[in-house]
Amino acid sequence: MNQIIRFLKISRNQWRWMAAGIVLGVVVVIANTLLMAVSGWFIASMAVSGSSGAAFNYFFPSASIRFLAIARTVGRYAERLVTHEATFRILAELRVWLFKRFEPLAPACLERYADGDVAGRLRADVDALETLYLKFVAPLAVGIISIITGVAFLACFSLPSALSMLFFLTIAGIGLPLVISRISEQPGRQAAQLSAALRNKVTEGLQGVEELILLGAVDRQAAVVDDLSEKLVAAQERLGRINAFSLGGMVLLAGSGVVSVLVAATTQVAAHQIPPPNLVMLLLFSAALFEAAGLLPSALYLLPVARESASRIFELADAPVPVPDTPVSGAVPFDNGISFTNVSASYFPGVPVLHTISLTVPPGGCLVLTGPSGSGKSLIVEILLRFRTYEGNITVGGIEISDLAKDAVHDLIAAVPQRPHLFNGTIRDNVMLGNVLADEEQLHRALYDSGLDAWVASLPDGLATQVGINGSAVSGGEGRRIALARALLKNAPILLLDEPTEGLDAATEREVISRLQSRIRDAKETTMLIVSHRPACLTLGDSVIRL
Amino acid sequence: MTEHSEESFEDCAQRDTGAESWLLEEARKMRWLLLGVVFLAALIGVLVVFQARLLASACHKVVMSGEGVASIMSFAGILILIAAGRSLCSYGMEVRSSAAAARIKQTVRSTLYRKIQSLGPAGLAGNETGSLIETVTKGVDELEHYFTRFIPQLFLAALLPLMFIIVIVPSEWRAGLMLLFSAPFIPLFMILIGRGSEKLHRRQWGRLSRMAGHLLDLLQGLPDLIIFGTAKKEATVVARVSEDYRIATMAVLRVAFLSAFALEFFATVGTAVVAVIIGFRLLGGNLTLQEGLFVLLMSPEFYLPLRNLGLSYHARMQGVAAAERIAPLLARPLPEGFAGTLPAPDGPPAVSFEAVSFRYGGNRGGVTGFDLELPPGSITALAGESGSGKTTLARLLAGLARPESGRILINGQDLTNLAPDSWRSRLAWVPQTPYFTSGTVRENLLLGRPDADENDIHDSLKAAAADQFIGRLPHGLDTVLGDRGAGLSGGELKRLALARAYVCHATLVILDEPTAGLDAENELLVCEALERLAHGRTVLVISHREQTLTRVDRVAEMIDGRIERVVSPSIFLTPWENPV
Repeated sequence: MNQIIRFLKISRNQWRWMAAGIVLGVVVVIANTLLMAVSGWFIASMAVSGSSGAAFNYFFPSASIRFLAIARTVGRYAERLVTHEATFRILAELRVWLFKRFEPLAPACLERYADGDVAGRLRADVDALETLYLKFVAPLAVGIISIITGVAFLACFSLPSALSMLFFLTIAGIGLPLVISRISEQPGRQAAQLSAALRNKVTEGLQGVEELILLGAVDRQAAVVDDLSEKLVAAQERLGRINAFSLGGMVLLAGSGVVSVLVAATTQVAAHQIPPPNLVMLLLFSAALFEAAGLLPSALYLLPVARESASRIFELADAPVPVPDTPVSGAVPFDNGISFTNVSASYFPGVPVLHTISLTVPPGGCLVLTGPSGSGKSLIVEILLRFRTYEGNITVGGIEISDLAKDAVHDLIAAVPQRPHLFNGTIRDNVMLGNVLADEEQLHRALYDSGLDAWVASLPDGLATQVGINGSAVSGGEGRRIALARALLKNAPILLLDEPTEGLDAATEREVISRLQSRIRDAKETTMLIVSHRPACLTLGDSVIRL
Repeated sequence: MTEHSEESFEDCAQRDTGAESWLLEEARKMRWLLLGVVFLAALIGVLVVFQARLLASACHKVVMSGEGVASIMSFAGILILIAAGRSLCSYGMEVRSSAAAARIKQTVRSTLYRKIQSLGPAGLAGNETGSLIETVTKGVDELEHYFTRFIPQLFLAALLPLMFIIVIVPSEWRAGLMLLFSAPFIPLFMILIGRGSEKLHRRQWGRLSRMAGHLLDLLQGLPDLIIFGTAKKEATVVARVSEDYRIATMAVLRVAFLSAFALEFFATVGTAVVAVIIGFRLLGGNLTLQEGLFVLLMSPEFYLPLRNLGLSYHARMQGVAAAERIAPLLARPLPEGFAGTLPAPDGPPAVSFEAVSFRYGGNRGGVTGFDLELPPGSITALAGESGSGKTTLARLLAGLARPESGRILINGQDLTNLAPDSWRSRLAWVPQTPYFTSGTVRENLLLGRPDADENDIHDSLKAAAADQFIGRLPHGLDTVLGDRGAGLSGGELKRLALARAYVCHATLVILDEPTAGLDAENELLVCEALERLAHGRTVLVISHREQTLTRVDRVAEMIDGRIERVVSPSIFLTPWENPV
């Protein structure tokens, strides 16, 4: 329940909408049960006075019936609108909260979510959290409040009926769902695992279909998929049977509850404790009250899944900030020189990657770092960006970077990281991210220097071309050059480039490098650090260090 | 943007009929199971009638005749039995419908998956792998509720109200008429309002998935946002996008919920009117409480199947949306040109491309009027910018696709005349991202030739320089790899893929960028392995890496789908001051 309370705390600003949704939900259930109760009492009383000839004031009950009928339908409409309004308001709160929580954690703590498949899970987790009010909190609250109110109403007329209904409603609304969620836990988990496994095999099989065809292994792979699918479908069918059991149980409990009220109320009528027409009222009220109990199972089944999603997200959001920020200080670097003295760093504690590295890039200089993969080239870029912690001393313009606020460091540096991200938007959006205030001339200069000008000109939509989700609509080399243009556009005193020409063919690489060279000649004061294992990039630097 | 989504909606609407008739066809195959479901539901309807009768009679005895508990105990007993009967029927109904759903899902998925594989990339132009994966996995699951909810409800909505009205009319025909005349309004209003909101609804789902993607996009790109100092500002963008979404969606929902409102309104007001009619008939002494109460109890039951049908509308939409993706794939014809029967030649083949064109229907990455000779036993490299058609050419040679015009001759014989299986058994192909599955190293190595003996395995690993790293693995060849070969580095996987090509005894080898993304050390190992692999085989290697190009006989340079020149590696690699 801790996760649910935490969720309510995050969305507490919307408590009015949430409460209104629940109140309306209760109003709907009460209007419906009262409608049935009044109708039953009304016709029974009419029948009694019809046969005895006694006068009966039918004005009040028939007016109530009309009022309750309208209250129920209008209330239901209003309830749906209000609960959805609340859900979308909560969604906005949650998204902003998540974004603000994740911001200082990037990138180290979000690496697990870099993969597309895991991104899908984050998305599903966020979805689950966003609909928690609509699918769990609201129905649970409405169900419980309605049951309590309904039983209290019954108790005003017939205590034995109220007690027997309380018994059946508790079993139907709470006991049965708890048993069901217990027995469906194992097949549910199995279905989730099989579904993930199936997805994996289908992905492998479709991505590698050409190779499988050529290896003559298509049918064997399809048989593996068939087998997984069969197991998954069987697990889903098992869940279906458990659901059937739960439905059957609800029907039996509702039927038995009504019979118990029939017996209890009849006893009281026979003992002249309650007037005869009340029997019909109590019966119809009880039958309708099971509608409230029906709200609870689907909410309770959701609980384990929702709790798991919520705890995954909260666990992620609660991760300690990998690199604590420094308060803004008055220190100002006196130039753009970078100096590493005995720097050690690692991706994971206990697995050191960089050992006591020392290097210097003079202001306006350009250093190329090369070396085999795994030697820590990219790590140097990441610690300079203050994405990771380090031991030793790193200064920029004579000031230790850990004494500078992160924002101040990022003002000094523009970078193409190891895996630059392209946002789902146009090429222009993605490049302009580097400097939203840049004018057209600066933009075109950056595109030219990244060797993108000819390609962009050849596109029918030019700069307005969409790059797709994760840059899926452009090639890897094009994406990297867009990231390069973005970094160049920022025009920062320090430029860090991690494999700027990865994924480019030789001709394009030559062109990009010669344009970068002339840019370096023009911008003498920019300090550059380039990480690459491509021989062509080595020509860019005035010195080269091999790690 | 808006216009675009309207268009795609119109497309969907046009395909609707095809998808829905495919769904009904599938349902027909399961008709016995589904009929069983409908039969049980009808049985429940009969039990509901008895239940109402018994309750009404019991109330009549107590209220009107003043009888005590003893006289209603038999009623109570039978009512419990009826409740048990209803409960068993609901159980059986659910079990049967999930069994039907399970069978449909299993057969559809199996047929669909095999169909997609046999269509191959040639037959699937225009479908992204990601959306195909989604269709085979989640799409097939989404069919379930169409069969388990919508179809049975469709029958019940026609059957049960009719059955109920027949038992109501003899008791109180005025109330029966009231119900009969109010009933058609429910589907009518639902259709009227539903039509309008369906369009809005679909657009809204599209918007929802775009918005869900927006947050994820920003989270994945957080490092970039931080570098460019815009991360803090984006929080307000997140708030604004969510707010816009809320306003737009609520406008749609206000209309969409009207159909449910109309449904509830008629059902509730109908019941209320029935109660009032019965009340006054009772007051006049023209009706017994027994009959009156029976009619009152039956009237919500009368509307229930219609309301359930309304609720299952979402299940229908979901099923149709999934079928719209599945049915066209199943109906797509298999690609032509794969019916050759001649056996492929033994020994390294001579390959000759004659004016080969293949344009995918688009422009990017195709080949046009392509001519090239690969002498038997030679190594030829294919170089050129990305998008110049190198991979397309390799796929044509592998026989994964057929040229749109021109021909490929193998020892003078047109490739389309060769039996596909025979040709493929002579072929080894290492694509840019080789296929690896979760399983042992051995399973992955022997994918193409499960019967290879230990000697073959030993030789192939040695030739591919894979023996050393495999020797270092905890369980050697029986080490279990994760998904897509997780557990081995990129260079190691490349070498394992080369070993797999080697073990196949192929006479023609096609390698697509074997050294891309490798560091110098791994590149050297792979290049050496490549030389060993090329011995006695005809080889085509796509690459623009210097290390690789120095080891080939000839370099064919491609520009825009055509051969620009065929030269020796030394000429091709002359210093880059030379204009290209």
